[in-house]
Amino acid sequence: MAPPQLVQLYKELQQTFISGNLPQTGVLLTRLKIALTEAGLLVPVGNPSAQDLVIARDILEVGAFWSIRTKDIPSFDRYFSQLQTFYNDFISVLPPSPREYPLRGLNLIRLLTQNRIADFHTTLESLPLRADALTANPYIAHPINLEQWLMEGSYSKVWNAREEAPAEEYKFFVDSLMGTIRNEIASCEEAAYDSLPLKDAATLLFFKTHAELVTFAQQRGWQVDLTAGKITFSKKTEEKVEIPKEKLILANLQYARELEQIV
Amino acid sequence: MTDVEMKPVDEKKGDKPVEEEKKPVPLTPTAEIKANIALIERAVATLEPRFTHRVLRSLTHLRKRLDDKILRDAINESYTPDAASRKALLAWLPEPSSEQSMDVDSQPAKQPQPEPVPEVEVYFRLLILHHLLVSPTTYPKALKLAHDTIEKMQALNRRSMDPIAAKVWYAVERVYELSGDLADARPHFLAAQRTAALRHDDETEASLINRILRSYLQYNFYDQADKLVSKTTFPSAAGNPQHARYHYYLGRIKAVQLNYTAAHTNLQQAIRRAPPAKTAPGFYQAVHKLTIVVELLMGDIPERGLFRHPVLEKALAGYFEIVKAVRNGSLSQFQNTLSKYAAEFEADKTYTLIVRLRQNVIKTGIRRLSLSYSRISLRDICVKLHLDSEEDAEYIVGKAIRDGVIEGRIVHEKGWMECGGQKSGYGPEVSDVFSRRISYCLELHNQSVKAMRYPLNAHRKELAAAEGAREREKELAKEIQEGGDLDDEGPDLGEGF
Repeated sequence: MAPPQLVQLYKELQQTFISGNLPQTGVLLTRLKIALTEAGLLVPVGNPSAQDLVIARDILEVGAFWSIRTKDIPSFDRYFSQLQTFYNDFISVLPPSPREYPLRGLNLIRLLTQNRIADFHTTLESLPLRADALTANPYIAHPINLEQWLMEGSYSKVWNAREEAPAEEYKFFVDSLMGTIRNEIASCEEAAYDSLPLKDAATLLFFKTHAELVTFAQQRGWQVDLTAGKITFSKKTEEKVEIPKEKLILANLQYARELEQIV
Repeated sequence: MTDVEMKPVDEKKGDKPVEEEKKPVPLTPTAEIKANIALIERAVATLEPRFTHRVLRSLTHLRKRLDDKILRDAINESYTPDAASRKALLAWLPEPSSEQSMDVDSQPAKQPQPEPVPEVEVYFRLLILHHLLVSPTTYPKALKLAHDTIEKMQALNRRSMDPIAAKVWYAVERVYELSGDLADARPHFLAAQRTAALRHDDETEASLINRILRSYLQYNFYDQADKLVSKTTFPSAAGNPQHARYHYYLGRIKAVQLNYTAAHTNLQQAIRRAPPAKTAPGFYQAVHKLTIVVELLMGDIPERGLFRHPVLEKALAGYFEIVKAVRNGSLSQFQNTLSKYAAEFEADKTYTLIVRLRQNVIKTGIRRLSLSYSRISLRDICVKLHLDSEEDAEYIVGKAIRDGVIEGRIVHEKGWMECGGQKSGYGPEVSDVFSRRISYCLELHNQSVKAMRYPLNAHRKELAAAEGAREREKELAKEIQEGGDLDDEGPDLGEGF
């Protein structure tokens, strides 16, 4: 059984978290983590009761949400890895948590914003859901759609979807996601256009004000012609194809040696 | 991936075509078991695992014909009536009816042979295990026997038993999987894998690594599977069927991680090493399904001939539709096919991979447009590719240009895309591809030279028996006739060394 002190703290944590007092939640979380470790529940050892496990899981879940609200991504990562045990290994013992899928979805978005596409797909595959049920779950469908649009290049859809986040915490990632998208679009524009009117560039890059665009253009090193209202992209010089002499010679010598051995 | 995939893999054991047993009159199962036992004894006596492998090759074929009586008879004939192993073995089989026990009593008189080697007992246990797996009612019994056998094998610790042990582990996995708790078996596998690695027991280790990978993939633990692969080295001495499976699992892991080139290489290996399509159709189909998807993800279109293959034609119907959709670059056709065959793809565990193809469909569509038009308006692109808006079309085309899918430019003011000329097909990449192929051929040649084998100790016997020389010549002539491919390599090797 969990020590009464832990249960007391846990109740306190729930209240503080709901009231939205972030600094106080942080303090409580630290104390709770110590208490959990002492009770052997942080990384469950032995044979703890389902009730205690639920408490431990709830605390960690609150911790994960708290990390997002305080914009501390590494901390979110830690909480989420600890939660994995509860979600995967105790799936048959514990009642499903209502926060499980929002958190899994958040984790997916986090991977997406960090551009860890391979990890994103691995995580997606290991979700305990049938593939066709993935799109039915709003928390999971959101990151899946985002990834698909990002990959095919429908950036405007990503832009429009930013308000459709299924949970409050998702919005935190929107900003960094928009940064990623802008850079993507910018690199596409560099390749695809010779020049672009300033007004259109602003629409394409989702900038509302002129000044924002100009700062961004300077960062990317574009030539802005304010009088003509145009951005010119420096054309990449056609790189000269060199013949990799050394590599070819090495390869040929290698073949000669092998042939010698055969004949 | 549940049963479909496993069956083929069983069948694999029966594959390697050198079926010496193919005599005009097929042997009765009992006689075949006896012949196999003789072979095992010979293998143990001469320290030549080749004979054991030959025995195991007939396993699949034999397995289907087993029943209680055959097993009982075979056990009775091989053991003396008061041997402890005989009683232990018979205990796993149901009690014989009275008529059959008469049979048993009459046998022992003419069986004064010495106790067979322990390998034989384990072989019998393997046969009984397979027999118990035929009906679900005997699963608990099979589980008990499996554990008992594992303990016995590990206590005996004999190298000559390794090939059989590898097969026993396979049977153990089957027991767990059929009774539906594969996860429980993982600790056993992991422990045994460590032991096998320490004992340099290649056959068992290879088999166990595959077991563990399979159980990870069954539960979608791709991370763990990937870690296992990076922490272990797959023994290169392992048999082809094990290699084929290993490469298949690797291919699956790599494909999930978006490393399509590596996945494709692994799957190619799996296809090459797999037994012929007719003997192991399930495995062949499973590998091809995955290969097709990976090829599509890489931007290649699989050959059409593949879909006319008699073994594959039916199984690949859904995939054929997908390939057609990708080839045409038609998103609506792709979506229709996807929803139509969703259940099938889900069962093959390729659904999520196929969903990833969406972007390839669009890319192919754009490439086709860029080839046929020198200038096309964004509005037309939008209509032709069934995109939602012109705005999207502009972004998508931009991305395609940046990713090097097409050569071209967008002229924003006029709202069209101008397509540039195609790149020429000659460049340094060509020589890279060429040298990759050459090194593959050289590698193949070197491997086959290494794989040539000569009988152990053959020359010592020659020295000892001078008059046996003539007989030896006859033998040699026969050997040359049989092993036609051996003497193809012969002269090359002779001069080289």
